Amino acid sequence: MQRTLSAVLDELIPARDEEIPGAGSLGIGAFVETQLGDASSLAASGLTALDARARDRGAADFADLPTEERAPLLDEVAAQHPGFVESLFFHACMGYYQNPAVVTALGLEPRPPHPDGYELEPGDLGLLADVRKSGKLYRDV
Amino acid sequence: MSEEPVDVLIIGAGAAGAAMAWSLAETRMRIVCLEQGGWMNPAEYPTTRSDWEMDRLGAFGLSPNGRGRREDYPVNDSESPIKISNFNAVGGSTILYAAHFPRLHPSDFRVKTLDGVADDWPIDYTSLEPWYDLNARMMGVAGLAGDPAYPPKELPLPPVPLGKLGETLARGFNRLGWHWWPSDSAIATRDYEGRAACINLGPCIIGCAQGAKGSTDVTYWPVAIREGVELRTHCRVREITVDENGMASGATYIDEEGIEHQQPAEIVVVACNGVGTPRLLLNSRSDRFPDGLANSSGLVGRNLMFHPYAMVTGIFDERLEGYKGPTGCSIISQEFYETDSTRGFLRGYSFEMLRGMGPISTALFGLSSRRLPWGADHHAAYEDIWDRTAGMVVICEDLPEPENRVTLDPELTDADGIPAPKIQYRLSDNSRKMLDHAAARGIEVLESAGAKETRVEAPLPPAGWHLMGTARMGRDPASSVVDPFGRSHDVKNLFIVDGSVFVTAGGVNPTNTIQAIALYVADHMKKNLDQLFD
Ligand SMILES: Cc1cc2nc3c(=O)[nH]c(=O)nc-3n(C[C@H](O)[C@H](O)[C@H](O)COP(=O)(O)OP(=O)(O)OC[C@H]3O[C@@H](n4cnc5c(N)ncnc54)[C@H](O)[C@@H]3O)c2cc1C
Repeated sequence: MQRTLSAVLDELIPARDEEIPGAGSLGIGAFVETQLGDASSLAASGLTALDARARDRGAADFADLPTEERAPLLDEVAAQHPGFVESLFFHACMGYYQNPAVVTALGLEPRPPHPDGYELEPGDLGLLADVRKSGKLYRDV
Repeated sequence: MSEEPVDVLIIGAGAAGAAMAWSLAETRMRIVCLEQGGWMNPAEYPTTRSDWEMDRLGAFGLSPNGRGRREDYPVNDSESPIKISNFNAVGGSTILYAAHFPRLHPSDFRVKTLDGVADDWPIDYTSLEPWYDLNARMMGVAGLAGDPAYPPKELPLPPVPLGKLGETLARGFNRLGWHWWPSDSAIATRDYEGRAACINLGPCIIGCAQGAKGSTDVTYWPVAIREGVELRTHCRVREITVDENGMASGATYIDEEGIEHQQPAEIVVVACNGVGTPRLLLNSRSDRFPDGLANSSGLVGRNLMFHPYAMVTGIFDERLEGYKGPTGCSIISQEFYETDSTRGFLRGYSFEMLRGMGPISTALFGLSSRRLPWGADHHAAYEDIWDRTAGMVVICEDLPEPENRVTLDPELTDADGIPAPKIQYRLSDNSRKMLDHAAARGIEVLESAGAKETRVEAPLPPAGWHLMGTARMGRDPASSVVDPFGRSHDVKNLFIVDGSVFVTAGGVNPTNTIQAIALYVADHMKKNLDQLFD
């Protein structure tokens, strides 16, 4: 099942570039499994269905299908198992967008915000010139 | 188990309870505060970990119903489009708050006279002004003097940086000729009174690991405790007890081990917030007060006000560096704050700019706005929004309506079996119109700032974080719960000092005013100790 999950995650969030492979190959599957909670039986039945359909097409399992056949099959099974792909995709996003390689590719340092924090430009308070001229904006009582 | 009697018992260690405790400490009376939560450890806040954004959905989530902490009590908010957000710990909801710290306007205290709606407050801006100033020093408020939307005010610290995002939006306001100003923020923008300066971590609303945000566990409480106040944590008050004369005699509480205690007190101060306070009063029934304590008017729990929120988000071409810097504190606009009846509604609203969207929050925004697909187009769609969103929330004034209320849920209880609150709330016509107006103006200003696309969410479901009106202040015991000095009309040694006492809500975040009222009430108590119960 892990092999199928990984292949599905590679479809949901495919390789970003040469550096960063799809979410499954990046190892997000293990995270997704820990997060599924109530949705795990839904996920299991969806993944089982994918493998069964893949076997109907003569492949050993979903991951064994030619790559161009995977997305259409995923679409088909998604339609029959409402919520299946959505929940995998949701958790895949949560895992993927905290992965150090991904975070680095987004232009951030792969570290928690604390303790180093960030520099922030003070900004140009001269932009307030017109507002200052507007005169009193609150009502007298 | 019966505890040593005390002079003053304060219930709730949040924004208001902390200010009250600190102010009364100088009297050298024996003061105990009971708080159902414990001390938070900033070194363990989410931003110290790489998976920090996940905690927004878990242990630091907004809803007490989803966090799964024993300290929380559940709230049945299924009959409200706006859900309760709070926190229960030393510091109360200020642990999570964004520290956006505006004051009410002078006109907010006079809505009946000025606009013919709701009621005037029995106090006014001038009575609170010295307490706003004192609170600014104690909480450490950053801001810039000279805002034409307010009378002059004290702001001890320099304003939070605008950053590129703030500047971009400021230009949008300027093009339309609309008011904006750097936000008053309870954030230490430089080292202040033992607090380290803000380092722009981003997500203030999952606890500030730097300790720069003015949550009361790092502002009032350390000083109050040094001055002799006893703060007892993990103590959940079940009811306020009364004696044969109809005076409050103290409270019954349950400690961490489930052991029940009786705490006798000469004076009881309730500071459990706009939902926790009516819940406690309604739970304090006796033969003498069968409808709950201090409730002869029938108004305990009624007139619940939130600020209905809209969230307006724009997508820009350029990167805005919006993942850094305080979430809710950059700039405010009060262009539409004061009443203009040609707009089709009375009263008004503020815009509060937002930042702090990290990679996961950006994905969540993409998912909820249905612009982040799976498959081949995923990365291009994410790139379109990553660090390119900026927006604002709109804080609309809510008007008091008796049908909007807190009652006790007939079945739901907390971990100690104490009946939990239930919320019944619907949006008024005036609020609906105001939200529509505000959303349209929000889109206009984002477009003026360069947004190529915008999105509106209104009312914003989790925005039940400003809890007001449920034990309102007034002169007439028939139409209010407490008098102009926060004392209950019915029980002469019972005081209430949180958002419950608000008569109307204004169109700004309430905490500065909640604390100013607590300091004002405390000052009156101190000056009148010998005739307090007359
Ligand atoms: C996510 C979020 C963002 C916010 N942002 C802002 C902002 O930017 N600006 C702003 O002004 N406001 C903001 N607020 C609101 C602000 O936090 C509240 O207005 C403020 O904390 C209310 O103060 P309080 O003392 O009345 O109540 P709280 O701070 O909620 O404190 C009440 C305390 O009482 C305790 N308590 C309740 N019942 C009992 C009991 N029976 N026994 C013992 N203890 C009890 C609770 O545990 C709690 O600690 C925000 C709130 C949230 C949740």
